[in-house]
Amino acid sequence: MFQYEKKLQYPVNIKNPNPKYAKIIISQFGGPDGELAASLRYLSQRFSMPYPELKGLLTDIGTEELAHLEMIGAIVYQLTRNLTIDEIKKSGFDTYFVDHTTGVYPVAASGTPFTATYLQSKGDVITDLHEDLAAEQKARTTYDNILRLVDDPDVREPIKFLREREIVHYQRFGEGLRLATDRMNEKNFYAFNPSFDVQCNKNCNRNNNNNRN
Amino acid sequence: MTDREKLLQKISALQFAAWELHLYLDTHPGDSDAIELNKKYLCRSKELTELYESNFGPLSARSGSGDKWLKNPWPWDIKECER
Repeated sequence: MFQYEKKLQYPVNIKNPNPKYAKIIISQFGGPDGELAASLRYLSQRFSMPYPELKGLLTDIGTEELAHLEMIGAIVYQLTRNLTIDEIKKSGFDTYFVDHTTGVYPVAASGTPFTATYLQSKGDVITDLHEDLAAEQKARTTYDNILRLVDDPDVREPIKFLREREIVHYQRFGEGLRLATDRMNEKNFYAFNPSFDVQCNKNCNRNNNNNRN
Repeated sequence: MTDREKLLQKISALQFAAWELHLYLDTHPGDSDAIELNKKYLCRSKELTELYESNFGPLSARSGSGDKWLKNPWPWDIKECER
């Protein structure tokens, strides 16, 4: 189960509202490489993971992504406080405002609403972990792009924190992939899918003394 | 920064260190040095969380309800001094 903690993982305190920045940063809320997609991806994939380290890793990183979703929501909320209609028109925020006022809605910067097609849960350890590694790098690039577009240090600091987390998660997923392949047939990683071919898992375990499960 | 914010920042820093070790331990479950360090940060963050909650109200739904839980600020609210 999940339990809420009434705090952000990293503080967000933005003094100057800026709807132009909000329009860009909303992409990490509901965009193709955003935190909602990340969280749903890992929290869905974990059910078919065959090894305890991977069940733990996907549960923990998927949970952390929810905390990141909350940080992005807080950034967007604070960037859109006390706006005048003039500021909304001038900044280009009017195209968001017409549908959502200043409510936080999962959408990409381009205006495409969130869709589950941003993620995959393939039920195959190697495939899912490669998707996860790619997802972390795509999110890292998005944060790098945001940092190219945003000058305000109040906004940059939490974005830099989130960018750094992508790199740490990438590292952990790489280690997870290594732990998984260490338990597979070393001559052919694709000989069976340990998420599905349960019988093969058992045979493999019998024949492999180095296997920890 | 208010006293509340200072204490919350300390708790967050300790929790972050503990969490980073927790993720590391998912892929290095036998690393006893990391386990010890993780315990140390968790223990200290629990002490400070108790101190925080006795002064400023619950940080989780398990440690309080009603007015105390509902009390502003919520995490996305802006800093007290700038309100």
